[in-house]
Amino acid sequence: MSDPATGPLLPIPDEWSRFFWDGLAEGELRIQRCQQCGKYIHYPKPICRFCLSRELAGEPVSGRARLHSWTVATQAFHPFWIARLPFTLATVELEEQPGLMFLSQLVECAEDDLSAGLPLEVVFEEISSELTLPFFRPSHGSEAR
Amino acid sequence: MMPGRRVAIAGVGYSTIGRNTGLSSDELMIQSTLAALDDCGMTVKDVDGLTTVGGGAIHDAWLLGIAPLSWWCTAMEAPAFVYAAHQAIAAIASGFCETVVATRIIQQQPTGKKLIEGKGKQHPMTAMFSAASGDRQFLLPFGAGSPVNWAGLLTQRHMARFGTTEEHFGHHVIAQRSHAALNEDAFFRDPLTMDDYLASRYVSKPLRLLDCDYPCDSGSAIVFTTEERARDARKPPVLVEASSLTAIRDLNFEILEEMAVTSPKVCADELWSRTDLGPKDLSTAHLYDGFSIITFQWLEALGICGLGEAGPFVAEGHTRLGGRIPVNTDGGACNVGRRHGANFCIEAVRQLRGECEARQVEDATASVFTNSFGPFCGAVLLRKP
Repeated sequence: MSDPATGPLLPIPDEWSRFFWDGLAEGELRIQRCQQCGKYIHYPKPICRFCLSRELAGEPVSGRARLHSWTVATQAFHPFWIARLPFTLATVELEEQPGLMFLSQLVECAEDDLSAGLPLEVVFEEISSELTLPFFRPSHGSEAR
Repeated sequence: MMPGRRVAIAGVGYSTIGRNTGLSSDELMIQSTLAALDDCGMTVKDVDGLTTVGGGAIHDAWLLGIAPLSWWCTAMEAPAFVYAAHQAIAAIASGFCETVVATRIIQQQPTGKKLIEGKGKQHPMTAMFSAASGDRQFLLPFGAGSPVNWAGLLTQRHMARFGTTEEHFGHHVIAQRSHAALNEDAFFRDPLTMDDYLASRYVSKPLRLLDCDYPCDSGSAIVFTTEERARDARKPPVLVEASSLTAIRDLNFEILEEMAVTSPKVCADELWSRTDLGPKDLSTAHLYDGFSIITFQWLEALGICGLGEAGPFVAEGHTRLGGRIPVNTDGGACNVGRRHGANFCIEAVRQLRGECEARQVEDATASVFTNSFGPFCGAVLLRKP
């Protein structure tokens, strides 16, 4: 157990988001998808806003994305992150669907190398024994769109 | 065209405003509401509606002996004060009530340091950072979740897409400060240089401390009524020419599909569709500056400058007093303190009445005030009769 006073703030999963956190524990990025119309939905919700279907399930995604925007956090709002400043928060667009945005952190890259549209890939970071997060880094392979 | 009866603003007022005043939110509401009524020579007996953002309209009415109340609104999902204004306008235009006091009462929010220490528990802001549940489970564990983080993201996107520079934001901050120098009510009145701006610390790069509004205790109140009643009031009426309110998604700024152009574009288009006036008719503009990027998006959305051109437009001095269209002539919330949008309404009214003394824009005939951006926002166009 990490010390709640010094560890990261842990997510409180609910019935709609549990698949997401379970997936990360198994090394997989999963996003909610409507089983009726096929649209992805993030953050997970109890209904598909595109077709109003209730048939929703978490499905694995490729982890490939494009950089939409980023910001270098120089002030933390939780004690755990103070020692880790500065870190780069980023909004990325997952390749599965236009407008499917995901908020994360960027790693393994220099600030000067960032630009809108930069191809990225997911990397799973063990933040503590209880928390693994999907961060993104510039993609190394040739899979970029 | 605007639906229903013609609405006007008859009175405006502030409470005592300051840092950690020790005044309760009740006291801030009482002071500002009575000041606004006094401004137009009305009393609580003239009021049959109250709208506010946060707080409690019925609670406020009872405190002031306003009864019966025919219309009220206590908004939570609201893009700052303009929401209370729009509800007041809609209620009067439709005929459901005659005179509405719209308020925004702000208790100074805790600093980031206090949030981390878990202090300031009485403030709703603290709860936002303590539990990673609901949508917050996708922000707080990642080290995100502060408004400064989404403001940094939206600022960076504008820079990445349009070539806007940090100096462009600096020009905006410097121009606003030069206006504040002419406003005795502003907290900050000393001139700023570009070096000062660039020496200001980042809170979420490229967002700097000087790009953020200044937390304080404040109460603001505005009296809306029919044009006929406003003509009988102590001060000359200011007419509501058009009003619009827009929400394009839920309030998750961090996952907006396009961060450089957001709800103000939709809202401004709707605003202009309700009037024969256009951006060229504006004498002044009062554009929310909770973060500098918000003002930039509104300059573009309203058509005051072209898409992506806010940076150069501001740098060329067009938003300064004496420029093409003076923006935030009171100094903005960065300098007069966080009044959550209400100061932009009050300053627009005062410009149109010709009450702004050293910072008065000559022959001001039409002014717009706007609040918020991203997922939701609102705008009101005011003019002289």
